[in-house]
Amino acid sequence: MKRQAKKIKALLIATALAAALSGLSRAQDPTPDPNTPQSIPESVTKPVRPKINNPHTKVNAPRTDREVPIPPSFPAELSRMGGTFERSIAVDPKVTVSLCVTQGDVKVNGWSRNEVRVFVKDGSKVGFDVVQSNRQGNKPVWIKVVGSDPNRPAGSKECLWGGAVELDVPEQASVDLEGTETRSVVDSIRKIKIKNAGGNISVRNVTEGVSATTYEGNVDVENSDGTMTLESSTGNIVVFESGPSQVGDTFRAKTNGGTISLQHIEHRQLDVSSISGSILMNSELLTASIYNISTSNGSIIFGVPNIPPCFFSATYGFGRFDSEVPIKIITENNTPGPIKTVRGTFENALKTDCKLTLTTSSGTIRIRKRVNP
Amino acid sequence: MNSRNFTDMQGRQRMNGNCLDIGTIQAFLDGELTPDVSMSVTNHIAGCDNCSFMLGEAEEESAFVFPVLEREMNSLVPTQRLWTRINDSIAIEKENAPFWRKFLDAVASQLRNPSLAVAASVLIIFGLIAGIYSVETKTSETGRKVAVVPTKDNQPISVQAPVRNLVTTVPLDAAPKPRPLSNNSKFAVIQADYRKPVRNIQPTDGTAAASTDGYLPGEESYVKTIVNLNQTIAGKKDTAMRPSQRVSYERDLAVVNDSIKRMRDEVRKDPKNESAKQVLYSSYQNKIDLLNSVAQKEELVASLK
Repeated sequence: MKRQAKKIKALLIATALAAALSGLSRAQDPTPDPNTPQSIPESVTKPVRPKINNPHTKVNAPRTDREVPIPPSFPAELSRMGGTFERSIAVDPKVTVSLCVTQGDVKVNGWSRNEVRVFVKDGSKVGFDVVQSNRQGNKPVWIKVVGSDPNRPAGSKECLWGGAVELDVPEQASVDLEGTETRSVVDSIRKIKIKNAGGNISVRNVTEGVSATTYEGNVDVENSDGTMTLESSTGNIVVFESGPSQVGDTFRAKTNGGTISLQHIEHRQLDVSSISGSILMNSELLTASIYNISTSNGSIIFGVPNIPPCFFSATYGFGRFDSEVPIKIITENNTPGPIKTVRGTFENALKTDCKLTLTTSSGTIRIRKRVNP
Repeated sequence: MNSRNFTDMQGRQRMNGNCLDIGTIQAFLDGELTPDVSMSVTNHIAGCDNCSFMLGEAEEESAFVFPVLEREMNSLVPTQRLWTRINDSIAIEKENAPFWRKFLDAVASQLRNPSLAVAASVLIIFGLIAGIYSVETKTSETGRKVAVVPTKDNQPISVQAPVRNLVTTVPLDAAPKPRPLSNNSKFAVIQADYRKPVRNIQPTDGTAAASTDGYLPGEESYVKTIVNLNQTIAGKKDTAMRPSQRVSYERDLAVVNDSIKRMRDEVRKDPKNESAKQVLYSSYQNKIDLLNSVAQKEELVASLK
């Protein structure tokens, strides 16, 4: 009798496990749309840098790890109220995805499938609104990911919430994300526009433009191209390996109370400013470029590997200006008062067709000679 | 010698046909010629047959006519003596005339000169215009400062339609107390000033120093924008920002305000300091961005609710 009961128990457990596994595999491998081409989308016309290995990147790999730790900021009562949901939809490769997330960790990943997949853990239900389809009418080119909450007040936005919100989109997709209290990680997509009221933003491997704004948190961009607009109210901005995706792409970084650190920037028009933070830049200055770098209460430290082909103008007050690279002063403001301006060029520069403007009201401007790594 | 010369002269006169006319002869007979002319006429007649003949005929006619018409001729025809007497009497009368008459006569005589007359007329016209203008100015100033109100029963001031706005925007309670200027008339004249008091909009922080002085070109728009943004985010700071963010915000605001103040002082000392101006404008822009970030965050959070 006892043996039979044990057998029944084991059978039940095995059945439950099998059902759970089959459900997971079904969710991971959604029924393909007969119209959805499963081939890998056309490669990007512009040769891009090799992608940085990212633990969040998934390329046609079945999801194995479903355990996403709930952030401490995420209320436990909310996690008890929500559930785990997953949806997917076949889309055009260059789809635009819009969503808003009120709370939770958001991860946006590019993959090689022409479908959008959303996974919400311990949060709201999820659904799709197709805003616009392609001319053939069989593929959405613009969708909204909405949280279908029946208790949602009328007129309010259908925002997602949850312990973790994961969004897998085609690599050529563009994502527009608004968040209240979200920590966002974006990887391997074409374009991202993200605006958070609070929370860090981390972006990497974006090919055609990043617009990231957070009012309380850091912005971190790595190995991304296109027009860059990075803003933070109280956090730092760190950019590593960035360049234009086409001629005319600009780079703008602004923080009120943080430090800005830039490494290997290839844009030809930079506008970088901070109020109470310092600005550090290690990059080669390119010909036919304009660099405007200013801070109110901080230092500007500029590391250059070669002799910059630039005409420079350094305005500083209550501080000093020094350069390890020999300079040739053209004009110097000798009027009495704390504000000084030095204008000149770098000695032995082959060209002077770029313009470097450095301004700080109460800090130091330093140009350092940096050895190429 | 003299008679010989005279005879020659007469001969030349005769030869030249320079004989006397009947008028001269008649005047000679009447004694109306001056002594010199009379002498020359006498000498000419002595040597000229025609003239002596004419003189003879004129004497005969006079001898015939004058006794007959002596009375009438003496009374009707003015003679040189009469004119002399008239002129003498006029001169005496002029001498006896009063001073103002003499002055007027002198002025009138001067005004006969056309250039002087034109100058005098220009002066008169200019004086008239100046007088009219000064009178009008006085009248308008008096009209602005003085209002007539009935003193009896403290009746409200009735105001015509064009100035209704003035009355509605500035209540009479707020107006200065009227000061009576006269108690004798039916309507008391009071000194009134209903102009709205000019308020200086003072920014609450860092821009206060800038607003009290003249603005630099373009600075006023910065200051106005900052004032508007301050009003927009007033009361929202606590809800829009966490305490840690609020601390950062206040620190950044203090940094920017300090920068604005220092650069403003620097520009005031040396208005040609372009570097200070550049930093000043940059600081203004930083402040606008800082205030904007609060407003935009509030807007974002509200839009996601």
